[in-house]
Amino acid sequence: MSVQIYTHPSSHRHVTPPGHPERVARIETIDRVLADAPYADLPRIEAPAVTDDQILRAHSSRYLDMIKENAPSDGWVSLDPDTHMSPGSLEASYHAAGSNVAAVEAVMGGKAKAAFCAVRPCGHHAERERAMGFCLFANIAIGALHAMDSLGAGRIAIMDFDVHHGNGTQDIFWADGRVMFSSTHQMPLFPGTGAEGETGEEDNIFNAPLAPNTGGREMRAAFENRVMPAIRAHEPDLIMISAGFDAHASDPLANLQWTADDFAWATERLCDLAGQLCDGRVVSTLEGGYDLDGLADSVAAHLDVLTAHAS
Amino acid sequence: MTENDKKIEEMSFEEALAALEQVVSSLDGGQVPLEESITLYERGEALRKHCEGRLKDAELKVEKIVAGADGQAKGTEPFETS
Repeated sequence: MSVQIYTHPSSHRHVTPPGHPERVARIETIDRVLADAPYADLPRIEAPAVTDDQILRAHSSRYLDMIKENAPSDGWVSLDPDTHMSPGSLEASYHAAGSNVAAVEAVMGGKAKAAFCAVRPCGHHAERERAMGFCLFANIAIGALHAMDSLGAGRIAIMDFDVHHGNGTQDIFWADGRVMFSSTHQMPLFPGTGAEGETGEEDNIFNAPLAPNTGGREMRAAFENRVMPAIRAHEPDLIMISAGFDAHASDPLANLQWTADDFAWATERLCDLAGQLCDGRVVSTLEGGYDLDGLADSVAAHLDVLTAHAS
Repeated sequence: MTENDKKIEEMSFEEALAALEQVVSSLDGGQVPLEESITLYERGEALRKHCEGRLKDAELKVEKIVAGADGQAKGTEPFETS
């Protein structure tokens, strides 16, 4: 088995206003990585659209209606100062969330050991009732809820190494002890949540905030002391990764100093845990990462580890 | 002119501290857009460094006064740091 790659052309049609960092060029950059050896040989699967019923496991019907009603026929609609919808955004959002649903089906069904969803818009800031931080649907949460409600997964660990705290994922699973959510992120920074003291109603949230200007050494300590023991204790049936690459030293939206090797190290630790705990099942999905060179190097490093893990 | 308009290097310690508290409150409150939060954080860092500099200046001045009051006939003029 190898790692499956989920993409969809609609990711290119979610167009943000000029100068916006979460831009089409990000997915074009990843496309170029995927077009080169050795990644060109990985199985590519076109992500299906998520169904409304699958979305409604993570969001309210009022929220889903709001997203649909705001989809513009031309120009942009701004849901907040960061988060915009273009005419192609609704379709892209359905396929971004759908990629996570299809990926968990493949991995839980034994068709793949690991999967990477290279889609946009990203999802980890989208709360049950609120779009924010460039995110419309909570892609990874929708995938996790599908794995638990339809595919028999009893417990899931979600690890989010995007440089911004995954407030949306935390919000959706705050009182759901089936999911253990851990996050490394710069603090202080957007969205302002992610303190260690935010532990969830079921003690299922494990935040590991990192000080600005720290690098791989501090991240590795957070993994070893906080993230990995918590994942181990949860005994998950599936490990999911919110793979944001904006902790990279060259990223313009944050001050952490990670290298591509650091992303590889973090991915390797998560794959090792998956091997020990859940027959190696790993589903990873793209979140942030706004420096195109840093994004390309980091995605390649992430894929190298996933590929080795899945083979 | 508000504290936000004034150049940081021209701020008094009290002004810079108040501006820093405003930055921290905004970042903690989660009301700052993602794109702006890095800029605001970096302003906070600049304010923190300015506050530290003003405190250090004050400490040096205090040391000079103490030294002057210790029997040494050096006068009481302000300590110049640069």
